[in-house]
Amino acid sequence: MPSRLRLLALCVGFALSLPLHAAEAPQRWVSAGGGLSEWIVALGGESKLVGVDSTSQHPASLTRLASIGYQRQLSAEGILSLRPQLLVGTEEMGPPPVLGQIKGAGVQVEMFSSAATMAALQGNLEHLGRLLGDPQRAEAQLASYRQHLEQRQQWIAKAKAGHKAPGVIFLLGHVGAKPLVGGTDTAAGWLIEEAGGHNLATNEGYKSFSVEMLAALDPDVIVYADRALDGDAALKALLKENPVLAATQAARNNRVIALDPTLLVGGLGPRLPDSIDALSASFYPDAAQAAVAP
Amino acid sequence: MRRGIAPRNLYIGLGCACVLAIWLSLALGPVSLPLGDTLKATLRLAGLPIAGTGLEQAELIVGQIRLPRTLLGLAVGAVLALSGVAMQGLFRNPLADPGLVGVSSGAALGAAIAIVGESRFGAVPEALSPYLLSICAFVGGLGVTALVYRLGRKDGQTRVATMLLAGIALTALAGAAVGLFTYIADDATLRSLTFWNLGSLNGASYARLWPLLVVSVAVACWLPRRADALNALLLGESEARHLGVEVEALKRELVFCTALGVGAAVAAAGMIGFIGLVVPHLVRQLSGPDHRVLLPASLLAGATLLLFADLIARLALAPAELPIGIVTAFLGAPFFLYLLVRGRS
Repeated sequence: MPSRLRLLALCVGFALSLPLHAAEAPQRWVSAGGGLSEWIVALGGESKLVGVDSTSQHPASLTRLASIGYQRQLSAEGILSLRPQLLVGTEEMGPPPVLGQIKGAGVQVEMFSSAATMAALQGNLEHLGRLLGDPQRAEAQLASYRQHLEQRQQWIAKAKAGHKAPGVIFLLGHVGAKPLVGGTDTAAGWLIEEAGGHNLATNEGYKSFSVEMLAALDPDVIVYADRALDGDAALKALLKENPVLAATQAARNNRVIALDPTLLVGGLGPRLPDSIDALSASFYPDAAQAAVAP
Repeated sequence: MRRGIAPRNLYIGLGCACVLAIWLSLALGPVSLPLGDTLKATLRLAGLPIAGTGLEQAELIVGQIRLPRTLLGLAVGAVLALSGVAMQGLFRNPLADPGLVGVSSGAALGAAIAIVGESRFGAVPEALSPYLLSICAFVGGLGVTALVYRLGRKDGQTRVATMLLAGIALTALAGAAVGLFTYIADDATLRSLTFWNLGSLNGASYARLWPLLVVSVAVACWLPRRADALNALLLGESEARHLGVEVEALKRELVFCTALGVGAAVAAAGMIGFIGLVVPHLVRQLSGPDHRVLLPASLLAGATLLLFADLIARLALAPAELPIGIVTAFLGAPFFLYLLVRGRS
């Protein structure tokens, strides 16, 4: 008897979930926003994506999808030609008349926040979880993300107690040439402070500095993101194009660090905790060694 | 006067090309619609009682996306080409371009103020916000042109050469101001500014269309009435004066029409280069220099060319869009070079 009951319950449950499922979980998604696309992949929704915008560069598999162009210059007909059921994007998505046309064609348009705050991330993940039909997974991701960041903050606080915060500048360049300095209000500046460094730049936005100024700031650590090269190749190009930098504390002590520039767009991304780990470890090498030694 | 193709044949040819461009502009896009559906939807939109089921999508795409875009393309192309003829007539130089009197650089400055200002200060009333960019671009274009015109006037006379130089100086000044806004802009604002400078017919809607339609119809009605005076001006200013043309009034009207027309076009679709320069030049090769033919023929050719350029812009990278300014320059510049080389040999 219990087995028949269970079967009945299953049938009823299935029948109930069918219309709910169809109404709540759209199957063809278009994402206009690099950070959002990355989270959709992290939450297991990659197979639902049929198109992404030009800022969705990570993970690399996204670049194989149809490109709908830049998030602020979307084309209504272009997006409709992908027959999406849902368009997700941040408040940067536009232009507004195009969004109106897309909504008018019956496509669900969902807005997310691009702010780099935990509150915004929480809202975004809960929203994505509902849309993907898997709120538990989003909740679990958020919890582990938060825990990861908190643990690292404790580690940084401890490391800071024994040392002065290192003076850091962030440089963004193309094959090493004419690097721009990341200012106080940029994602790069935020990342430096979050990893326990002290951003020596006081400007707003990304601005070009004279090399003389860079040498005078004499940073303890240089964090460098290159749009064309990564890793050691980027660092080599930076020092080759800007020989003055070789005289700074950072270069002399071999504390020039390469960073992936795609980390800096679209709010708090899934790869951020790992990069804060790496950055803070290189900001406080003694503490990092002490953590490894025992 | 060098005789070209008979005006009637020219009008028929350009008219057919224009109708073809309009039809293609309604029928082609990233969403592929069956030809029959497009036809039925178009006729339904024209108010004919055509029966049919399953036409909702076609009607939506054609009516809400492609038709306003086509109308925008027609108006922008026509008004840019007409302004080009007016400027080439005023400066008596086939290399003149509506940008010479500062309308484009003024509009670019207005746009930079709107785009950067809104992102930095943001406090714009909700109702005004969608139109801020267009209004600033229009006012900027008109303002700088008015200044150029003022600087060119002395003792009740407008000196075309002085106006030309004033236009160059103010273009440089406006360029520097735009550069300053570019410097203080953040990344996202910078990209908006760049895209605006490349122009696009994307996102056209009826609500934003009508000011441009009014202006372009007014310009298209007014300029051909001055065709005889423009013909007289070709002979020289004093010759035109002797022929009974009120030269000062004519100059004022030409500058005003250009500022109004190009200002409205740029406000609606951003900067679109080369139509104003190449189209009058091309039409002159076919029709000869008579403005009575040149003006209406340029109107048709400008509208046609812009619609074809827009087809490329929307199809080349679908589902993404190519800014239309890139397409017009890629089409226009090699053609212009070809004309130069052919003229030299």
